[in-house]
Amino acid sequence: MSSETTDSVRMLTDSVTAFVRDHTDHKRGRALRGALPGYDRKIYADMAGLGWFGVLIPESYGGAGLGFQDMAVVLRGLASGLLADPICAAVVLGARALLHGDNDDLKARLLPEVAAGRCLPGLAWSESHLELDPAVITTVAVRQGPNLLLNGTKRFVPGAASDFLVTALAPDGLVLCRVARDAPGVGLELAWRADGTPSATLHLSDVGVAAADVVASAQVGAASVRRALDEALVMASAELVGVMDAALTMTLDYMRTRVQYDKPIGSFQALQHKAADMYILRQVAEAVAGEAAELLDANPDERDRAMMASRAKARCGDAGLQITRESIQLHGGIGYTDAGDIGLYLKRALVLSAWLGNADLHRRRYACLAM
Amino acid sequence: MTGAETRDSRDWNALSDAEFAAAVRSLVETKCPAALRHPPRRLRWAQVKPWYLTLSAEGWLAPGWPTEHGGMGLSPAKHLIYVEEMERAGAPRLLDQGLMNLGPVLITCGTPEQRAAYLPKILAGEHVWCQGYSEPNAGSDLASLRTEAVLENDEFIINGQKIWTSMAFDADHMFALVRTRKTGPKQAGISFVMIDMDQPGFTIRPIRNIAGDEEFCEVFLDNVRTPLSNLVGPLHDGWRVAKTLLGFERVWSGSPRQSLIVLLQLEQLARATGRMADPVFVDRYTRLALDVRDLASTYERFARSLRAGQGFGPEVSLLKVWATETSQRVTELLVETAGEYGGLLGAQEIADLHLDVLHPFLEYRAWTIYGGSNQIQRNILSKHVLRLPN
Repeated sequence: MSSETTDSVRMLTDSVTAFVRDHTDHKRGRALRGALPGYDRKIYADMAGLGWFGVLIPESYGGAGLGFQDMAVVLRGLASGLLADPICAAVVLGARALLHGDNDDLKARLLPEVAAGRCLPGLAWSESHLELDPAVITTVAVRQGPNLLLNGTKRFVPGAASDFLVTALAPDGLVLCRVARDAPGVGLELAWRADGTPSATLHLSDVGVAAADVVASAQVGAASVRRALDEALVMASAELVGVMDAALTMTLDYMRTRVQYDKPIGSFQALQHKAADMYILRQVAEAVAGEAAELLDANPDERDRAMMASRAKARCGDAGLQITRESIQLHGGIGYTDAGDIGLYLKRALVLSAWLGNADLHRRRYACLAM
Repeated sequence: MTGAETRDSRDWNALSDAEFAAAVRSLVETKCPAALRHPPRRLRWAQVKPWYLTLSAEGWLAPGWPTEHGGMGLSPAKHLIYVEEMERAGAPRLLDQGLMNLGPVLITCGTPEQRAAYLPKILAGEHVWCQGYSEPNAGSDLASLRTEAVLENDEFIINGQKIWTSMAFDADHMFALVRTRKTGPKQAGISFVMIDMDQPGFTIRPIRNIAGDEEFCEVFLDNVRTPLSNLVGPLHDGWRVAKTLLGFERVWSGSPRQSLIVLLQLEQLARATGRMADPVFVDRYTRLALDVRDLASTYERFARSLRAGQGFGPEVSLLKVWATETSQRVTELLVETAGEYGGLLGAQEIADLHLDVLHPFLEYRAWTIYGGSNQIQRNILSKHVLRLPN
């Protein structure tokens, strides 16, 4: 643990902690709900200026070339202040899919922009709420001269994305294509996630993609997307641990200060044991998420990576929900109000647990891989 | 590594972890009789004594004791490997109260005379110790213990009753917490004493447990005597002496090993009876498999902290809670998966398996109770880790 903590992790921890202390503002967060872009552009730019979006981007593409353990520190910390969305979607899932692809020109053009906070690539891979295999899709890419023509519908796409990275079945396999948000033939239907951030359904009707915008060819398409998904699952798990950190801290503070029957409610054993169980769950989730980030940094084979990612997401998704639900209960009536901050954490846990497959789906995936 | 290596002949801590693990494995493979390995029940002293003496002769008996007291002087990291490899190789559990508990207490709190008198006899297998802590009315609330020691002419005269004393029928010495003062805070009137059991006044009654085994005992002390020189630490300070033990060993109780043993049985049973094709079963099985796997991740964090030479505090209680409750849940599904066989005592022929599903289920009931019940562990977490008010 701490003995093996690297300097980069220590420095990131310090700077993220200070940033979260200075910038956490749930009033501002509430005002952002239900409208585009769903995040604060000024704060997003400030975070980019601190170099956090380039943590996972190689130095050759304008990033810091650090690892997943470093990125986990950033996301966990920011999540505790509800400041992390849409970073994981853009700089982990989107940018990693781009990086794993085979279009070096596009990488050179877009990845520095991602690091600078100006490009938010949104991976449009999902078509069903029950399918975790990115190759099981119906969106097609047919050749039309030098271009590809995309038709299909993508769901649960990051609504704040500046560019979409769309998966489609070409005759030779799964390809990944960059599609501009305002490209002809793109229809965007917005829905609002539990925490008020935007989710989009993307309708693609004869959308043309030039060869230069093919992010990953069929040779590497499916593998690139699978890898980026596993990496994002682990980073979403780190984010969930950050949500648990904050919910537990807020709840313990409340238990120390809320007085009933002339005593702080935290002195009641029934509630103490609930708190102890929440703590145990958080510690287990933290251990699993930590092991997963370490594994990603050690270049695992595909099966190990997939099993670890599903294990982490299943544990952290369930633990995040359970801890935030219990937090509402322990806050009593105030926890049930929109004005109570603890409810914001339950909603964030709902979003992150569902994102990229909930615990139930990931247990199934783990079981299939284990058999 | 073979037995040709003599005691103190090398610095174990200088070996790589892999080399040391291989040395432990090799010792068990070459020196521990196959009949003693992976025993289904805890072995009696007469059964395990040859292995105890072998370890002693090899200098491998007391991994955690400093070398000047005849131990191996292992670092926490190597000590962990020692325990894990012994378990993996199926080495039987020793009668280890002297090694695990009394020895470290004497090394920390004993006088030079006490160390000289008792440590070599533990290593030689001449003294077999049992622990007299719990009483019928002092379980979770151990400090309310009432077994009384009255000092008369430099000799304690002890009366009372101890319970849950493991393997007392095989022991010839007991270390005990006894009440030496009845006024003031109850923790401040307890002393730690060593008692020779070879005297009139000791009555030992085994307690048959829910799994049908006899390991725990009631021990009655009726005008039992021990000299003042067998007091460890200051008079009335036994609570603190006993507490010096807690902590380090508690990480072992959080090992995923016990859960893995029953998870493997569950998997075998499910495969043999076709349940792995049942999606409802697979869902429940997978939840448990992940609970066990995630326990291993959590355990590894504590183990790593030990390996790095760092200790840990009361947060280790979380490991005991998660480990024991996880292993119990696995035994529960094991019994359920056996269907009507789950109601039959003893090993049964189920499909092509020879399996006793009730024994682990019943045996594992104890784990959330002893060593500080899981409710006590939750008290510890909420008070000493989460700092919730009284």
